[in-house]
Amino acid sequence: MTDATHPIAARGSLLVLDPRTKARKAAETRFRLYGAAAIAISILALVVLLTSVLGNGLGAFRQTFVTLPITLTEKTLDKSGTRDPEVMKKVTTIGYSKLIDTALTEALAAKGLSTEGLSKKELSGLLSQEAAATLRNQVLADPTLVGQTVEVKLLANGRVDGFFKGRVTLESAARDSNISPAQLELAQKMREAGLIGLGFNMAFLTGADASELRPEAAGLGVAILGSAYMMLIVLVLSLPIGVATSIYLEEMAPKNRWTDLIEVNIANLAAVPSIVYGILALALFINFMGLPQSAPIVGGLVLTLMTLPTIIIATRAALKAVPPSIRDAALGVGASRNQAIFHHVLPLAMPGILTGTILGLARALGESAPLLLIGMVAFVKDFPSAPPEGLMQPATALPVQVYQWTQRSDPAFVERASGAIIVLMVFLLIMNAVAIILRRRFERRW
Amino acid sequence: MNDMRILERDVETQTAKMTARGVQVYYGDNHALKDVDIDILQNTVTAFIGPSGCGKSTFLRCLNRMNDTVASARVLGQILLEGEDIYDKRVDPVTLRARVGMVFQKPNPFPKSIYDNVAYGPKIHGLTRSKADLDEVVETALKKAALWNEVKDRLSAPGTGLSGGQQQRLCIARAIATSPEVLLMDEPCSALDPIATAQVEELIDELRSQFSVVIVTHSMQQAARVSQRTAFFHLGNLVEFGETGQIFTNPRDPRTESYITGRIG
Amino acid sequence: MSLGLLTLIVLGLAAFGFLLGRGRALSSVKGDPRALHSLPAYYGWSVALATAVPALLVLAAWLFVQPALLQGQIAAQLPADAAGSTDLAMADLRRIASGLDRLEGSLPAADLAALTQDPAALRGQLASAGVALGAEIDPAVLKAATDYRAAATRGQGAMVLVVALIAAAGFAIALWRIRPDLRARNLVEQLTTLVLIGCSLIAVATTFGIVASLVFESVHFFRIYDFGKFFFSTTWNPKFGGGSDLGLWPLVWGTLYVSVIALVVSVPIGLMAAIYLSEYAGRKVRSFAKPAIEILAGIPTIVYGLFALITVGPFLRDWFAQPLGLGASSSSVMTAGLVMGIMLIPFVSSLSDDIINAVPQAMRDGSYGLGATQSETVKQVVLPAALPGIVGAVLLAASRAIGETMIVVMGAGAAAKMSLNPFEAMTTVTVKIVSQLTGDTEFASPETLVAFALGLTLFCFTLALNVLALVIVRKYREQYE
Repeated sequence: MTDATHPIAARGSLLVLDPRTKARKAAETRFRLYGAAAIAISILALVVLLTSVLGNGLGAFRQTFVTLPITLTEKTLDKSGTRDPEVMKKVTTIGYSKLIDTALTEALAAKGLSTEGLSKKELSGLLSQEAAATLRNQVLADPTLVGQTVEVKLLANGRVDGFFKGRVTLESAARDSNISPAQLELAQKMREAGLIGLGFNMAFLTGADASELRPEAAGLGVAILGSAYMMLIVLVLSLPIGVATSIYLEEMAPKNRWTDLIEVNIANLAAVPSIVYGILALALFINFMGLPQSAPIVGGLVLTLMTLPTIIIATRAALKAVPPSIRDAALGVGASRNQAIFHHVLPLAMPGILTGTILGLARALGESAPLLLIGMVAFVKDFPSAPPEGLMQPATALPVQVYQWTQRSDPAFVERASGAIIVLMVFLLIMNAVAIILRRRFERRW
Repeated sequence: MNDMRILERDVETQTAKMTARGVQVYYGDNHALKDVDIDILQNTVTAFIGPSGCGKSTFLRCLNRMNDTVASARVLGQILLEGEDIYDKRVDPVTLRARVGMVFQKPNPFPKSIYDNVAYGPKIHGLTRSKADLDEVVETALKKAALWNEVKDRLSAPGTGLSGGQQQRLCIARAIATSPEVLLMDEPCSALDPIATAQVEELIDELRSQFSVVIVTHSMQQAARVSQRTAFFHLGNLVEFGETGQIFTNPRDPRTESYITGRIG
Repeated sequence: MSLGLLTLIVLGLAAFGFLLGRGRALSSVKGDPRALHSLPAYYGWSVALATAVPALLVLAAWLFVQPALLQGQIAAQLPADAAGSTDLAMADLRRIASGLDRLEGSLPAADLAALTQDPAALRGQLASAGVALGAEIDPAVLKAATDYRAAATRGQGAMVLVVALIAAAGFAIALWRIRPDLRARNLVEQLTTLVLIGCSLIAVATTFGIVASLVFESVHFFRIYDFGKFFFSTTWNPKFGGGSDLGLWPLVWGTLYVSVIALVVSVPIGLMAAIYLSEYAGRKVRSFAKPAIEILAGIPTIVYGLFALITVGPFLRDWFAQPLGLGASSSSVMTAGLVMGIMLIPFVSSLSDDIINAVPQAMRDGSYGLGATQSETVKQVVLPAALPGIVGAVLLAASRAIGETMIVVMGAGAAAKMSLNPFEAMTTVTVKIVSQLTGDTEFASPETLVAFALGLTLFCFTLALNVLALVIVRKYREQYE
């Protein structure tokens, strides 16, 4: 401490840093670096996460197809010769798979590829088990094909697909009971001969799920439809209810303990774990009210309850942002309070409300935990019909489909699951982009 | 103190603690301060007056480089503390601010105890060697700020619990605990009631014996009461600078006269 | 008649009522709207609301009350099992009833009637319709099931009738009341306010529903399983043949372990990121880094789960667990904790950002004015001032971590263990809720019902954390307002 009589004792020059200041500056730099490191780690995590999902999932959009000229002999497919699909339905996939096998052998012979050392079963094993069903559906849809020779694109087996995508190697095939290295070598030759190739996989987006043994045929169609149904329910229910609640709490409600209770309640609901909502749905909607399991209506209801707090919070913020002068102006010309709210305040708050709603929907779209409990993990192969009946029929949802695929043993499903995530993220991206555009376009500064 | 300067305009011979030459301040494109020359004398209270937005606070904040925390601010010209340019690249604002302390418009005690508030500066600058030293520094600073008798029994109580006037005196104690050479005060009484204001003004006068004090005020009476020298700023220009008595009784510039007589402001 | 159709009819009637009411009001004053008390549309609305609102309210109430009443009635008919509970029989009954519903679509009515007399054949038919029954159908249960269906059909018929009547009555009364001096606007506004209040009660009803369903089923559970064993046992070993050990502690241990790791990852990173963004970063860095971190917050948890499963899990196993000899499992507490930590970074950072920004600039200036460096100011002034808010944010993050499901389901494993090794697979409360409640569930067994007790525990825990956090944050905000 400096002498009291000489408080301004000479200090060192400003231009020379004393050791203590140097140390403090070093500490400052270190602290700054920690902060930058924290940002870097967060961004790195984001990048790794996205690349890992994208890297794994992009393959799902490309699929290995075998293109074969198949002679659809009338003798096997339509003995009666009537071309009546009802009659032709009697021929099962077994009949078709025989045709495919013949066509495959012929095509290989035509290209001069040797099939030595491969049994008949191994040869047909190059194709997906789904191939015969695909051909059958094609023929039943257009019976005039019978008797002709048509070029058909058929799914290759999942392991063959994996071989071309680098997931399956000759070494791993040697240990695999489902595929042999010889089969893969033949597939490689077929590729060189142009019989096998990778193409865009539309069926991944439109097709239904497939069983454990045919990952190559699994698609997201049912899941996308199920998610769409649920989003529809969430939108139809949560928007009006959320807006009504917000209007009451923000514009009309007296400030008393009762409304305070409602507010605390909403704040807490927003933080209740999603799995608890699943329990509520199971106990209330399924067990008590007897709604069917796996149905979009139940999923939609539970997601509505989960989304409500988000929408209410966003709507109240939007209503709060409308300046009181607007209300005063309306009341001043003799409008009632309701008229002031519905004619003036609400339209002005609408962009904010819609933005909040879209963001709420986006969260609901990605939610999976409560849907697990209401049976949406079931294996659903049939598309639900159009609403309203379709809302009661079993369906899955995008995030749940991801979960379900990860639970299967075939590693090909990992690719499918990651692909499904890409689809989910694209939807989320679109929704968020719409919300941002809405906000930019209609944002008003008072 | 070998670098003594004699002010041309000043009749008294006193050491200039800080000298400013040709100071310009820009906030982005806004030229907030134009070509200011001022000398802050030792053991003197210098008051900056002028209408709001005239640049007096801006200039005050230049004197201890508080403008560095505003990203868009640019300071040109030269400000010397004892002959050393405080805007030199080698100068760390941290060491500068230890020597040029500051008290703000609104009392802003830290959310800590009274003791820790005062001990904060000495602690971060490493001014004391022991706890006993620190205790002494805190006590001296609080005594100088005329707060010791009011708080000596509750040094561990939070500083935010004091009254407005006490809080401001705590902030002054906090600023003088680092034993600065110059003490900058930015409208220190604007948030205080008349009684607290009187206490702080009295304090400023006592502080003059040990520090150079620079005070920004919007109250001309206050400037007249506490300062020996007064600078009048108007629209970013330093209009007039001189003896307080002379400025208030015999202003040279017509703008100063208008302001003092209440026609602009 | 389906529910949707009934709703549509009521709404259609309401729309018709709107037109009619409006027309009647206008014609009562010979087409001169100035003679009316309110705008003509309000007369229309008064009829529409009077038609739709009471009818739809009754419809909603009916949907809740009927199943409860029916079950109470039918339960009396059911044979009780050894423990004196009719739960098992009730579960069978529900399955049979839903199976019969499915068969109804594909079988002629006469066949169905014949089947209900023949339990053995029915079981086969039900199995082919996708409803598997564990044991032979008890004739008494079958009888109860058919009664149940009959009663349900009767109830539905009554519901349609009552709802239609109420709608018609509302329609008629409102129409009849239309006079030029009727204060239609005030009437409509009162009704609207009532509807708005009703909507805001849904939030309360949701909480009530959550608490009721958790408590109700938990009481069921504790009736068949010892309270003390659940709360104090340290073994979790469910056996679907009975005689399970359902101790809570291994699950709590796993939950807390994962959450602690998640917080250890997310709190320092999130906090430092927030500090850097609000105190140091220039405009360019901020405009890039802030949205990037917010993207992390918008990613669904299932994506994090997959990330844990296919990337982080194998990475930790191959590079840490196996070389260190700590285990060979890719799902582990560490995997789940790390990924959950990443998920929580944006949560912690955006909350802390708000809180740090709420610290008044004057306080920072005070510190800079004394010659403190930026980091000294942050550490010794800003953070202590923001501490209560940050504690609140951490509590909220903890509540998130405890309630998170997908990441732990896919990353933590399923083995209920109490081990210190972070590279071992352990399980959490949420994982067990999912695993006990998915698939075909038998609602009478303790192995299933325990999920509700777990859910109740989870709910109470997170609720306490949330309330505490909200109170702290609220107090903090008041301090600077």
